[in-house]
Amino acid sequence: MIDPQSDTVRPPLGLAMRSLLRADAIVLLRNRVSATLSILLPIVIVVATSLGARTARLGGAELTIGLALTIGLITSCVLGYSLNLAHDREVGVLQRLRVTPAPTWMIMTSRLCVQVVTNLIASIVVVIVGVIVHGLTPTVGQYALVLAVAVLGAAVFLAIGQALVGLVPSTSAVNAIGRVLFIILVLLGIIGSTGILGDTVKSISGWSPVGALMTLFSDVLGGAAWNNQDIYSLLACAGYIIGFAFIGIRWFRWETR
Amino acid sequence: MSDASQLPPPVLAVDNLRVAYGARVAVGGVSFRIDRGEIFGLLGPNGAGKTSTLSAIEGLVKPKSGRSLIDGIDTVQHPLEAKARLGVQLQSSSFQAELSIEQIAKLYAGLYGVHLSREQIDASMRTIGLDAELGKRFKQLSGGQQQRMALYIATIHEPLLLLLDEPTAGLDPQSRRALWQRIEQARGAGRSILLTTHSMEEAQAVCDRVAIIDHGALLTTGTPAELIEKHKDDPRVLEVAHGPVTLEDVFIGLTGSEIRD
Ligand SMILES: Nc1ncnc2c1ncn2[C@@H]1O[C@H](COP(=O)(O)OP(=O)(O)O)[C@@H](O)[C@H]1O
Ligand SMILES: [Mg+2]
Repeated sequence: MIDPQSDTVRPPLGLAMRSLLRADAIVLLRNRVSATLSILLPIVIVVATSLGARTARLGGAELTIGLALTIGLITSCVLGYSLNLAHDREVGVLQRLRVTPAPTWMIMTSRLCVQVVTNLIASIVVVIVGVIVHGLTPTVGQYALVLAVAVLGAAVFLAIGQALVGLVPSTSAVNAIGRVLFIILVLLGIIGSTGILGDTVKSISGWSPVGALMTLFSDVLGGAAWNNQDIYSLLACAGYIIGFAFIGIRWFRWETR
Repeated sequence: MSDASQLPPPVLAVDNLRVAYGARVAVGGVSFRIDRGEIFGLLGPNGAGKTSTLSAIEGLVKPKSGRSLIDGIDTVQHPLEAKARLGVQLQSSSFQAELSIEQIAKLYAGLYGVHLSREQIDASMRTIGLDAELGKRFKQLSGGQQQRMALYIATIHEPLLLLLDEPTAGLDPQSRRALWQRIEQARGAGRSILLTTHSMEEAQAVCDRVAIIDHGALLTTGTPAELIEKHKDDPRVLEVAHGPVTLEDVFIGLTGSEIRD
């Protein structure tokens, strides 16, 4: 004996989504420290590497800019996004939202959308600075591809961040594990790719999130022809997004105890 | 249609609700009903299972068995429709620290499908005495102001049922009485209210009916006067009474004297 009117009393989703997006955007804009950090670090990298003019050692300007973009994305997604989410869970912000008629997927989607847009803007700034200081001249098409890869990278690291908060209930543990994860991901991507740790590590590195994204960024920026390595990298990224997002959503812990 | 189906369903019907966290049973089969325009108090010591009962109704925890219906709508089968009829003030809830009072009001209005104009927000803020604080953050408000704001957000969509978890905890006597008045006003507007408290004074001052809960079970239900009448000859109650039996004597007599944390 379900009330046939029950559907009509459900608030419109569009208004709820707009309200959430606006609130999440305000929250993100007010968090200036984390926003600044995730854009400052990559800019420092592109500027510092342009000074010595010996960037060929690291694989050239394209790879350096790719690295900077990737590090910006990890900082804001694996450290920023997940820590904010864990904090909001701990202080009860998520609980309060969850007792409203907004579906839980909407609460998460709004945060993710705002985060991706921020990452996109940060990436544009980093690419422009990088291109100028390294004296590159990418075409409009290349710029567009770089931004497409940036969105892909944001999705990879947001999925990893989501899995991290989803599985780890304590905020301080999310913080600590996030930092360790940051270091592991970056080292695996950079040091591994040089080959000094052997061929096995080198191929693992190519498949790792940072390695895959650096490959895509630098090939796109360098205007390289589409090769097998790019396809593998793309597949790896898709795998990370699907796998980690599934874990982070399916096993998301809403409570801290 | 039969006669029975023409009766409006109770605003809240809780049937044999069980909540457990792992092996720990927090609510062990609780049943009660709340009618239109009624203020119902869930009275119990710390850890009795009050918040867990509310959490199951709110959809924050999934009950192990039993069910709760809001206006006839099952809270597990139709969570969003049930939540649309529910106004909630959580025991330990918090709003985004980065948002101003006005932005919080806009956010929650939108989540409940209510369009609020600037003038409407101003007017409501005047009635709850927060018109000078519109640009402030929630954390910058005093305890009494925070409770008023939380109650305002809970009623922003004029819900059928209000769930208030220890709404007056930590308030000074003036703010407490002012809040009682607002709760009574909400009832006057046709809402039903389920509140939790461990204050006997509060239960007697505002609740039409109360239930005493301990260790996840309801021990007794009735108006405050009925509870005193029903248990005034219970030896456990008489043992703790000093003079005429009070609601507090009934509460201590039924739930025991040991201290809970
Ligand atoms: N999320 C949780 N995980 C595990 N145990 C919990 C959780 N929430 C409450 N409990 C336990 O369940 C019991 C009832 O708690 P609660 O409903 O919060 O009581 P009250 O609100 O009456 O103080 C307590 O023993 C408490 O420790
Ligand atoms: Mg409680």
